[in-house]
Amino acid sequence: MRKAIIILLALLAIAPVFAQGAAEKETTTVTVWSSAQGSNQTVFDEIAQTFNDTIGKEKGINFEAVYQGKASDVLTKVNAASGTDSLPDIAMMDATAATDMNSSEYLVTVDKLGIDTSDIIDCAIASYSSEKGLLGLPFNASALLYYYNKTLYDAAGVTAPRTLDDMVQVAKKTGKLNADGSFEVAAFVGVPATFELSTFIGAQNGLSYLVNNRNGHDARPTEVLFGKEGTYAAFLEKWKAVYDTGYMNAISSGTTAEFTSGRAAALLASSSNLASIIKAVAGEFEVGVAAVPMVNEQATGGTVISGGALFSFTDSAAVKTVLEYLISPEVQAKWSEATGYVPVTTTAYETEQYKAFLSENPQYQVALDSLLNSNAGLANVWVPSAYSIYYSFQANIVDVLKEAKTIPAAVDEMVATIEAAFEAYASQN
Amino acid sequence: MKRRNESKAYLYLAPAVILAALFCWYPAIIGFVQSFLTVNASGKVLGFAGLSNYRSLFADKAFQNSLKVSLRFIVLFVPANTFVTLLAASMTRRKSRFSAIPEYVFFAPVAVSLSAYSLIMKDLFRGNASVINKITGLKMGWITEPAGAMATLVILGIFLDFGIDYILLMCAFRSSDKSVLEAARMDGAGGWRLFLQIELPLIRETTLVTIFLALKDAILISAPIIILTEGGPYRSTETVMFYYYLEAFKSGNRGVQNALSALVIVIAAIFMALYNSRRRAR
Repeated sequence: MRKAIIILLALLAIAPVFAQGAAEKETTTVTVWSSAQGSNQTVFDEIAQTFNDTIGKEKGINFEAVYQGKASDVLTKVNAASGTDSLPDIAMMDATAATDMNSSEYLVTVDKLGIDTSDIIDCAIASYSSEKGLLGLPFNASALLYYYNKTLYDAAGVTAPRTLDDMVQVAKKTGKLNADGSFEVAAFVGVPATFELSTFIGAQNGLSYLVNNRNGHDARPTEVLFGKEGTYAAFLEKWKAVYDTGYMNAISSGTTAEFTSGRAAALLASSSNLASIIKAVAGEFEVGVAAVPMVNEQATGGTVISGGALFSFTDSAAVKTVLEYLISPEVQAKWSEATGYVPVTTTAYETEQYKAFLSENPQYQVALDSLLNSNAGLANVWVPSAYSIYYSFQANIVDVLKEAKTIPAAVDEMVATIEAAFEAYASQN
Repeated sequence: MKRRNESKAYLYLAPAVILAALFCWYPAIIGFVQSFLTVNASGKVLGFAGLSNYRSLFADKAFQNSLKVSLRFIVLFVPANTFVTLLAASMTRRKSRFSAIPEYVFFAPVAVSLSAYSLIMKDLFRGNASVINKITGLKMGWITEPAGAMATLVILGIFLDFGIDYILLMCAFRSSDKSVLEAARMDGAGGWRLFLQIELPLIRETTLVTIFLALKDAILISAPIIILTEGGPYRSTETVMFYYYLEAFKSGNRGVQNALSALVIVIAAIFMALYNSRRRAR
């Protein structure tokens, strides 16, 4: 027995030597932590495989895609791995990562890698630019959309609302209550949070910001603007009017399921959910999509771009090659078709493949138009404690809707919450 | 001979002590010290903070809310959990030919992982047309309404603690002094009287252990919340430890992280001291 243990220990001791020997080839491995969910990851793996079979084989680069959970999970892991050798070469994350990446000493900016970004659409570049340059390479774009049950809307004789005032009228015609007061069909389901508000507030007066320094892109934000500019109050007022029709189901989880099962006639969601929503509805009704309703007639700014970007932590030719491959027109077109994201490069729109796809699936055109027609100055919000602020917004809005909190009190409370987060962050950085 | 046995005992204890020292005591001390310092997200000490970390923690509305939520959870969960596990253990306390069946059924939950349970619960209670609503004929928005979400969380908590509490209580019932029971029977005690006045007091020690285990779990609950409700809807299930998770891991707020962990350790220490003093007093 003892002999066996000694032999086993001896084998374990020399195992690393063999392992190293096996890896000693002339290929460079580029590890990419991905946040592509479900079937999207399968597509991303295919994209990696195609690279390994072609460019990778030729140049001796191995593109290794590792699924690490949702974008927020990837960020948590990147933060934990910072300063250790387990940091990946590239990580796929969204705008919530921007604040941390902007202050990370391990990030290699796109400018430093020397990648040509002239084909990438302006709003995508703007959404990941800070005073340090382009932090991450935009990989996919999406826009907030108003999803609606087109079959039900047609039957009720209404079209998608253009403004929140219209939404009140539409709600009265599309909502239905059971005898006990519960929703048979809610006219709208969901509670807006930071992502929706960056559009609802951002579009007002042509272009508005929630916080100063261009929503935190030019420098760390120090002041909340939506309070003194009255933009949040303007939104709350109109939103409450929709709620007061009695047909809005203000719940914050399981909203997509309510819509796809026909128990809610409309919701706001990212265009990146289009493919999965259509699949979940499974032909039970026709899914319509439209631009986000405007808060008022002056809210002409359009919609904020969202979506993912690729952040690099290694400055090497291999990383550059992989990134250039990922924004090539073919990869962009393939990725967009499979997921519903909007391609980030204008060259991808020109491919026959994508043109044919759009003509067959006109719903996808809405997100693309929304983005291209929006004010490119519109920016997603970069704030510290982003998750906490997200939950605070939802709780704050629900207090106004259900708990009869006055709008001025709600606005003051939200301003104080965000400014406290700024203060805490400033004292620690 | 005695000395040798003693040193052997220390040897067996060593792995546990080393692990606890490395992963519990050492970080706890560092955290406590750092709760009085200003530390940035990558762990660099920027200066002395005095009590300002604690002040900003207590000024945070979300923290105040999380205290209320935690308290609500403790008040609902601990008695409910104690009642349900005691009920199950007392109903199956007599050994018989078939007692292996309920024992197996009641102990089985221990073998299922916490996250698997949370995901199953999420699917059972999700949406207005949830499986649970279909079975019970209710029309509740379980996870979508604050009251429903709290109820779901309490039910999940009971499931998670049930197996281990059950086995502890059942063993206590079966190993309690038979002569006392027989004496009571001879004196004419039976049925409810025997159970409430003789059998239950006999397992008081173990019941206290399960209550403290439940209390500990209630104070520290966070992982099931991360999976089941994400603190929602509208922060109604955001317990102190979930708030901690958000601030420490999502926001990288080291000040709050250190102040809160120091605070939780102190509170836990007070509870343990209370528990021990009660045990010694007896």
